[in-house]
Amino acid sequence: MDIFLDFFRGAEGITLFSIYQGALRLSLPVLALLIVIRSARSLLGFRREPEVWAWLRLATGELLPVTHWENLLGRKKTADIVLDFVTVSKNHAVLTRQDDGGWMLTDIGARGRVDVNGAPMISGRVNYGDTISLGGLEMVLEPVSREEARLQANSRTKAGKGNSPGLTLLLLSVFQMLEIMQLMFNRPEDRMTIFTAFGILMGVEWAMFIGQKLIRRSGFEVETIAFFLISIGMGVCASADPGELYKQLIAMGVGITIFLFLGFFLRDLEKAKKLRYVAAAAGILLFLANLALGSSAYGSRNWIYLGSFSIQPSELVKICFVLTGASTMDRIVTRRNLLGFVIYTAFVGACLVVINDFGTAAIFFVGFLAIALLRSSSYPSAFLVLVGVGMLAVIVIAAVSAIKLFPHVANRFAGYGHIWEDPFDKGFQQTRSLMCVAAGGLFGLGLGNGWMQYMAGEGASDTDLVFAYVSEEWGLLMAVMMIFALAMLGLFVVRSAKVARSSFYTIGASAAMSILMVQAILNVFGTVDFLPLTGVTFPFVSNGGSSMMSCWGLLAFLKACDTRQNASFAVKLSDKGGNQA
Amino acid sequence: MKSIAKRTGFALILACILLFGVLTFVIRYFLYADRWVSFTGSPHVYTDGKLNTGEIVDRSGEVLYTSASDQTYADSAALRKATLHLIGDAAGNIPPRILRAYASKLFGYDKLNGTAAMETGGGELRLTVSAQVQAVAMQAMNGRKGAVGVYNYKTGEILCAVSSPSFDPLDPPDLETENEDGYYDGVYIYRFFHASYTPGSIFKLTTLAAALDAIPGLEDAHFTCTGERVINGEKITCPRAHGELTLREALAKSCNCTFAEIALRTGKSVLTGQAEAERLMENISIDGITTVRGNFDLSDASDNDLAWAGIGQCTDLVNPCQYMVFMGAIAGGGSAAEPRLVSSAQCGGRVTYEAAVSQTPPMLSAGAARTLREYMRYNVTQIYDAVDIPGVEVCAKSGTAEVGTDANTATFAGFIAEEDYPLAFIVIVEEGGAGSSVAAPVARSVLEACMNVLDGER
Repeated sequence: MDIFLDFFRGAEGITLFSIYQGALRLSLPVLALLIVIRSARSLLGFRREPEVWAWLRLATGELLPVTHWENLLGRKKTADIVLDFVTVSKNHAVLTRQDDGGWMLTDIGARGRVDVNGAPMISGRVNYGDTISLGGLEMVLEPVSREEARLQANSRTKAGKGNSPGLTLLLLSVFQMLEIMQLMFNRPEDRMTIFTAFGILMGVEWAMFIGQKLIRRSGFEVETIAFFLISIGMGVCASADPGELYKQLIAMGVGITIFLFLGFFLRDLEKAKKLRYVAAAAGILLFLANLALGSSAYGSRNWIYLGSFSIQPSELVKICFVLTGASTMDRIVTRRNLLGFVIYTAFVGACLVVINDFGTAAIFFVGFLAIALLRSSSYPSAFLVLVGVGMLAVIVIAAVSAIKLFPHVANRFAGYGHIWEDPFDKGFQQTRSLMCVAAGGLFGLGLGNGWMQYMAGEGASDTDLVFAYVSEEWGLLMAVMMIFALAMLGLFVVRSAKVARSSFYTIGASAAMSILMVQAILNVFGTVDFLPLTGVTFPFVSNGGSSMMSCWGLLAFLKACDTRQNASFAVKLSDKGGNQA
Repeated sequence: MKSIAKRTGFALILACILLFGVLTFVIRYFLYADRWVSFTGSPHVYTDGKLNTGEIVDRSGEVLYTSASDQTYADSAALRKATLHLIGDAAGNIPPRILRAYASKLFGYDKLNGTAAMETGGGELRLTVSAQVQAVAMQAMNGRKGAVGVYNYKTGEILCAVSSPSFDPLDPPDLETENEDGYYDGVYIYRFFHASYTPGSIFKLTTLAAALDAIPGLEDAHFTCTGERVINGEKITCPRAHGELTLREALAKSCNCTFAEIALRTGKSVLTGQAEAERLMENISIDGITTVRGNFDLSDASDNDLAWAGIGQCTDLVNPCQYMVFMGAIAGGGSAAEPRLVSSAQCGGRVTYEAAVSQTPPMLSAGAARTLREYMRYNVTQIYDAVDIPGVEVCAKSGTAEVGTDANTATFAGFIAEEDYPLAFIVIVEEGGAGSSVAAPVARSVLEACMNVLDGER
C-alpha cells in the first residue's frame, strides 16, 4: 500500500502539487497505451479482404479471382491461382498487371506450354478476352468493370474503421501537450524553444493528417506511431539539449519529404521500378562521398561534415538498399536482376568495411537476409546463400578489425556480459543505463529530471542508450511501449503481406521493417547488456538527423504495402484508373 | 505472392525477438532493479562517492554510522574500532557490504516509483550486533589477531562478529609506515566471515557427530591411549598417554589417538557427508556478506591423512561463522536459526525491511546433538573452568591447531544451553597457543557481556 501512496508523494509529502505531478506521471503512460492499443487494433485487427483485379474464366464457367498485381499460376497449393490439373506445372506462369491496367503473362520455365490465343508465348501482353492456355488448360481473362470495382471498394472495410485515426491523433496531441507542460516546467530557461518546437511538430502531424483526408485516405496509424516515437525522442532531446530540437525538426521535415516523395513514387510500380536505378546510383554516390569526405567519429568513418551540418550517408543508403532490393514476382521467379542486387550488396558491404561501421553492417546484413529470403521465392538460391555467408564474413572482419583498431570498440566487447565487474570503465555505459532504468521505476522521474542527461552527446545517452534515457525520465512502461509500437509495425507488415498487390511492396516493407526492428534490437539489447553495445540508433527516438530521415524513408515502404481500403496515400484507389475494359 | 507472403515470417521472427527480449528485461528489472539502483557509484544514491542512506544503529540504538550530511561514526573510539568491519572505512578498503545490500531499503526505493519518492539520508538500518559486546570482544582480544562470534541460535541474531586487528576509521593507520611489527597484517580482512582457519580439536565435534550415528554402540565403547598410534607407518600422538578412556573422557581430554581410531572407523564418505551437512565447504550469504568456504577434502587422503583430518588438522579449514552455526545446531538439537546481521530497515519512519527467522537444514541427528551437548557440558565442568559461568549451562570444546609454525591457533567453540541465553559462540586467536587457556577466557568475557545485553532487553 505504501508504495502506491508513494506514487503521489513529493518532496514535502502528499500535497496538491504532488498529486498533480502524480496524475501527470500516470497520464502519459495511459495515453501512450491508448495510442498504441488503438493503432494496434487498427493495424493488426483489420480483415484481410482481397482486392480483385481481374477474373479468369475456366471452360467449366468457373470464375477465378485475380487478387494481386502479380499472380503465380500453377498446380501447387501455394500458387496464387491454383490450377489443379495434371497437365499444369507446379509453377507454370506469372500473370502481372501493368500500370496502365493491362496484363503480362510470363512463362516461368514450366514443362507444359503457355499459349495465348493459340500461339505459344514466353512473355508478352494479354488482353481482356484473350484465351490463355496452360498445358492445354484454357481460360479467358476477363476485366473487372468500373461498377464492379466501385462496389468492391465500397464493400471493403475502410481503413481505421472503428478506431478513428483522428481520435488517436487527438490522444497523441493531448500526450504532447502534457509533455510540453512538464518540459516547460522543468526547463524554464528553454520554454520558448520547447513550446515552438512542439508546436511545429503538432502542426506538421495535423497538416499531414488533413492532407491525407483531402485525398480520401483514412489510414494514419503508421504516421501516428512515428509521431508518437518522435514525441518521445523530442522529449529526450529537450531534456538533453534543447538547442538540438530545431535540428531534429529540420531532419524530420526532410524525412517527411522523402517519405511523401517515395510514397508517391511507389504508387505506380513502373515508376517505382525506374526509381530503383536512381536509388541504386544514389546509394553508390552516397558511399563514395562518404569514402572521399568522411570523417571519423567514435571509431567509424561514417560522418560527412558540411559546414555546421553533419550527415551519416550510410543511414540514407538504407532506403536506397531496400528500394534496390525490391523486385516484382515475374523477375523473382525468373531470377532476373538478382546478380545486380548481389553485386550491389557486395559493394555496400565493402564500403562498410572500409568505413569500419560494423553496427550498420549488421543492420544491412539483416536487411539483405529479409530481401534474399523473399527473393528466393520458390527455390532456395545457392547464390544468395553464398552472398549471405560472404556478408556475414564481412561483418566479422569489420568487427574484428574495429576491435583491433579502436580501443573503445574493444572495450565494448570486453565489457559485454561482465559490465558489473568493471562499472567505471568497460561497463560504464551499460551500468549507468541499468542504474538509471532502476531509478526511473515504472513511471519515470519526470521529463528533464533524470541523470542520463549528463551523459548526452559524448556519452551517447540520447542516442545509443536512449532506451535507458526514456526509462529513467518517462518510466519503464513508456520504454516498453515504444518497443511495442515498433514491433507492432513489424507485425502489420507480416499481416498485410497476404493481401499485397505486388511482391515489390512486400519485399520493400518487410526489408524496411526488418532494418528498423534490428536497429531497435541492437540498440535496446546493447543498452541492457543482452548484446554488445554497437552504437545503433533506436528508430525515431534516438537523437540524430540522418537516422530520422532514413526512418521516414523506410516508413514509406510500409505505406505502400497498406492495401486496406482507402488507407494509404502510397496506394492508388482501386476504383480509379486502370481496370478499363 | 502467397509463397512470398509466407517468407515475411522473417520480420515476424525479428518482432518476436524484440518482444521476447523486452519481456526478459522487464522480468530482470523486477528481480534486480534494487541491486542496480544502489550499485557503487549509482548517480541517484551516491553523493561525492558516498552512499547517502542514513544511519546504521546497533541492537540498542547506538548510532554506529551516519551518512546524512557528513559521514560520522560512533562516538567512542572503542566502538568505532570494534564495529569497523561491519561499517566499512572511508577509504573503501573495507567495503560497506551490509549498507550496500540494504541501501535500496534505506532510501525507500521501490520498483514502481523508482527513486522518485526516495528519501536520502533518512534511513535507519538496525543491526543485530551489540556494539558494547563487540567492544568487550575487541578488548579481550587485546590486539591479537583472530575472530570472535556469538549468535542467538534461536533467532539467528549475530550479537558479536569481531575481527581483530582493527583500527579507528577516524584515524586510519598508514600501513606503509605504521606496520613494521606486523600488527596490522590483514587488517582489511573481515576475519570472522572472510578467513578460514585450521580448526584443531574443535573439529572433533564434527567427527563425533558423524561417528555417533555411523557406529552403533560407540557411546559405550572404551579406548586405550598409549600416547601414540601408528597408522601406515606414521604416528599420531597425544601429549601423554591417556590410558583407559570412555568416549566422554576421550573428548574431554581431546585424545588424538582415540579420535584417529574413530575417524578411521567412521570412514571418508561419512565424515565428508557430515562436513557437507555442516555446509563447511559452502559460501553462505548473510545480509550482504558472503562467507568464505572452508576445506575438507579426503579425496586423495591416506589413512593417516584421514586420522589427522578427523582431529581437525591435515587440510581441514573452517570459517569461524560457519562453525559457530554448527555449534548452534548442536544446541538446537540438530539445526539452528540461519545467522543474520540486520534486524530491520526503515525509511522516513516506515519499516521497509524486517528480518524473519529461518532455520538451517539439519546438520546432525537429534541423538548425536544430545550426546554432544552432554559431553561438551562435561568438558566445561571438568576442564574449562574459565567458561564455567555459575548457574549457566555452558558447553564447549577447545582446540589448539598446529599450523606449521611454533605458534598454534587457539580455538574455542560452544554454546549456552539455556532458554534465556540461547547463544552459540566461537573464538579464534591466531598464534595464541592453547585454546583452553587463551581462547576460553575471551569467550567468557564476551558471553557475559552478551548475557548482560539480553538481560537488559528483558
